[in-house]
Amino acid sequence: MGSWKTWLSERIPVNQAQLYELTNEPVPYHLKRWWFCLGGTPAYLFVVQIVTGILLAFYYQPAPQTAYESIDYITNQAAFGWYLRSVHKWAATLMIAAVILHQMRVYFTAAYRRPREINWMIGMALLLLTLLTGFTGYSLAFEQLSFWGATVAANICDAVPYVGGFFKQMLLAGSSYNDQTLPRFYILHAAVLPTTIVLLLGVHITFIRLHGVSQFTGPRDDPADNRTFNFFPDHILTELMIGLVLMILLSALATIFPATLGIKADPLTTPEVIKPEWYFYVSFRWLKLFSLTFAVLSSGLIVAAMVLWPWIDAVLRKITRIEDISIYIGIVATFLLVGLTVWEAVVAH
Amino acid sequence: MVNPHVRMPDDSANGEPPRRDFLRLLSTVTMGGGLLAGYGTFAKFALDYLYSADDDSVWQFLGRTSEFKMGDARQYATPSGAKIVVARQAEGDSPESFAALSSICPHLGCQVHWEAQNNRFFCPCHNGAFDPSGKATAGPPAQANQSLVRFSLKVENGLLYVRIPAQSLSLQRDA
Repeated sequence: MGSWKTWLSERIPVNQAQLYELTNEPVPYHLKRWWFCLGGTPAYLFVVQIVTGILLAFYYQPAPQTAYESIDYITNQAAFGWYLRSVHKWAATLMIAAVILHQMRVYFTAAYRRPREINWMIGMALLLLTLLTGFTGYSLAFEQLSFWGATVAANICDAVPYVGGFFKQMLLAGSSYNDQTLPRFYILHAAVLPTTIVLLLGVHITFIRLHGVSQFTGPRDDPADNRTFNFFPDHILTELMIGLVLMILLSALATIFPATLGIKADPLTTPEVIKPEWYFYVSFRWLKLFSLTFAVLSSGLIVAAMVLWPWIDAVLRKITRIEDISIYIGIVATFLLVGLTVWEAVVAH
Repeated sequence: MVNPHVRMPDDSANGEPPRRDFLRLLSTVTMGGGLLAGYGTFAKFALDYLYSADDDSVWQFLGRTSEFKMGDARQYATPSGAKIVVARQAEGDSPESFAALSSICPHLGCQVHWEAQNNRFFCPCHNGAFDPSGKATAGPPAQANQSLVRFSLKVENGLLYVRIPAQSLSLQRDA
C-alpha cells in the first residue's frame, strides 16, 4: 500500500495540501444561487457537444454528394443515431442560450468592471465563437435552409468593406458555394473552433481563479456577509446537480422533439420562407430593416461596443454620474433583442 | 561553464557598449528575425493554400442565334447552381441583341423566382423584387440600387455563348 503511494508521489510530485490549495478556491456565498452557476452550464454542455460530436463524426461525410445522405443514415439507420444527433442539436441550442444568459448575468451584476475587463473580452470572444460553431454546424446538414443560410452569411461577409471579400473567399473556398465548401465548414466546426474554444476557456477559467469570483451584494443581502464555502466539494456538487438536470432535460428534449431532416439542399431554388436558426433571428430582421452596408457596419459597431463595454461603461458613469447607467442600457438592449427575435419568429417574410 | 551574465573586466573598459551585449543583441535579432520570416512564409503559404482562387470562367455554348425568337426566354443552369435566363431583346446577330440574366439576388445571393401574377422576380430571403429587365424595384436591392447580374455573351459564326463561372457544386455521385 505504502509503496505504490511512494511510487506515485515520486512521479507526480504534488502533495495533498498543494492540491487542496489549487482546487479549493473560497467561493462567495451568492454562488449558492443557481443563476450564478450559468457559466458552468455552457462548459458542461460543451463537453456533451464534444462527446456527441465525435460520435456523429464517425458517420458524417462532408461532401455535397454525401453529406445529406450520411445524416439521413445517422438519423434513420444507425443505432441510437437519432438520439445522439438530437442531443447534439439540443445541447447546441441550450449552450447558446446558456452563454447568452451567463453574459447577461455578468452584465447586470457589473462583474465585468475593473479589474475583470480582460476576462469580459475573452467571454465575448467565446460568445462569438459559440455562435460561429452553431452556424458552421447547422450548415453541415446540407438541407435547403442550412444551404441558403450559409450562402446568405457568406454574402453578408462580403459586404464588410475592404476585408469582406477575402473572408467570403476563405469561408466558401470560392466566390460561391461549391464542392470545396462543406469540408471547410466541417473542419471549422469540428477542429478549428472547438480547439480555440478550449484554449480560451482555459484562459477564462484561469482568470476567474486569479481574480476570484466577484463579490456581489444584492439589495436584500447583508453587505457585511462575507461567508464563503468550499469549491470542492460544495460548489462541484452544485455543478454536478446542474449537470444531472441538464442530462435529463437533454434526453427529454431529444426524445420528445428529435432533430428532423428537411429537404436536401437545392442550389437552383431558394425556399419560399427562409429563416436562420433562432439565435440569428435578430441579425436577420436587422438585415431586412436596413440597407446591407448599414446593417453590417452597425452590427460590427454593436459587437465592438460590447467587447469594449467595461471601458465604455466607465466613461458613461463618469459623464452621466449615474452609477447604474449600464443597467438601464442593458434593459433597453434586452427588450430590443427579444423584440426583434419575436418579430422575426412570428412573420413569414 | 561560463556564466553569460557575468561581465568580463575588459567588456566595458572605456564606457562603450560592451561587445558581449552587442553580440547577444545581434544574435537575438537575427534569430528572432529568422523565426518571424520563417513563420511568416509559412503563414503566407497556408493562406494561399486556403484562399483557393480557382475562379476561372468558361464560355458555354447556348445555341444558334436564329433559334432565339423575340419574347422567348430560355433557362440554363451553371455548374454551381445559378440559373440563367437568356432572352432576345432585339433583332440581329450581335451579342447586344440578347440578355443573359442571373437568378442570383445581388443582395445576399439567394435565388430569385419569377412571379407571373406580379410581373416581377422575387427574392424570398429579404423581400427583394426586380422588374423583367432585372432592375431592382423593392427591398434591400432597390435601396442599394442593384440589378440582377448580366452574364457576358458572345456570338461566333451565328452561335451564341455565355461566360459563366467554372466552379461546380456536384450533388450527384458519379455513376
